[in-house]
Amino acid sequence: MVEASLIVLGVMALFALSSTIATYLAITERNLVKAVLYSAIQSTLYALIYYLLMAPDIVLVYVPVSVGLYPAIVLMLIKKTEKEES
Amino acid sequence: MIDAFTFLFTTCMLSIIVNLGISLYGVLYRPSLIKKIISLTIFSDSANITAIIIGYVRWRNPGEIAPPVLLNPSPTLEDIETFAKVAVDPLPQALVLTAIVIGLAVTLFLVFLTLQMYRFYGTTDVRRIAKLRG
Repeated sequence: MVEASLIVLGVMALFALSSTIATYLAITERNLVKAVLYSAIQSTLYALIYYLLMAPDIVLVYVPVSVGLYPAIVLMLIKKTEKEES
Repeated sequence: MIDAFTFLFTTCMLSIIVNLGISLYGVLYRPSLIKKIISLTIFSDSANITAIIIGYVRWRNPGEIAPPVLLNPSPTLEDIETFAKVAVDPLPQALVLTAIVIGLAVTLFLVFLTLQMYRFYGTTDVRRIAKLRG
């Protein structure tokens, strides 16, 4: 019989490994719009890790700031400047 | 023999540290200024989550663990004892809450600096900006 806290910790490790993959894709991607989208995926996984680490107040701040506001700002910047990294 | 708790917790911590390394590479070696901004945000988020993991006191009480919230508005002594035994450390959470908001302001400042640099120089590539004269 597996304990519930062990399952929670396993899910947390899975989210952390997925966020590593998302970070790698965001850094190595040439297209900047795709890089911002990978960064948003990584922020979503970080928000889930914050929730599992017993910090619900940080989730309430982190989700609007880092998943909503920050990609919108960077997408506006990309729209005004270059879309490809040379 | 390493138990499952330690293995999964170490996996989580190592992933965050690898994230720190990858994003530091992005800040230092990618030529585009926009990619540098994205990497800097990932770097600050990873540093914040490291602080939260250090405040997650799994080694003190491995059984039950709860958010640092008092449910009883007028707590008795037993409530406070249970709270101190079960809750995670609230101090890193307060610090990280401040750091997220300050990070948003810093990111906005860098975004407008990059926009002005593009308007002046016509590029966001630091190699081409470094070659410009005059």
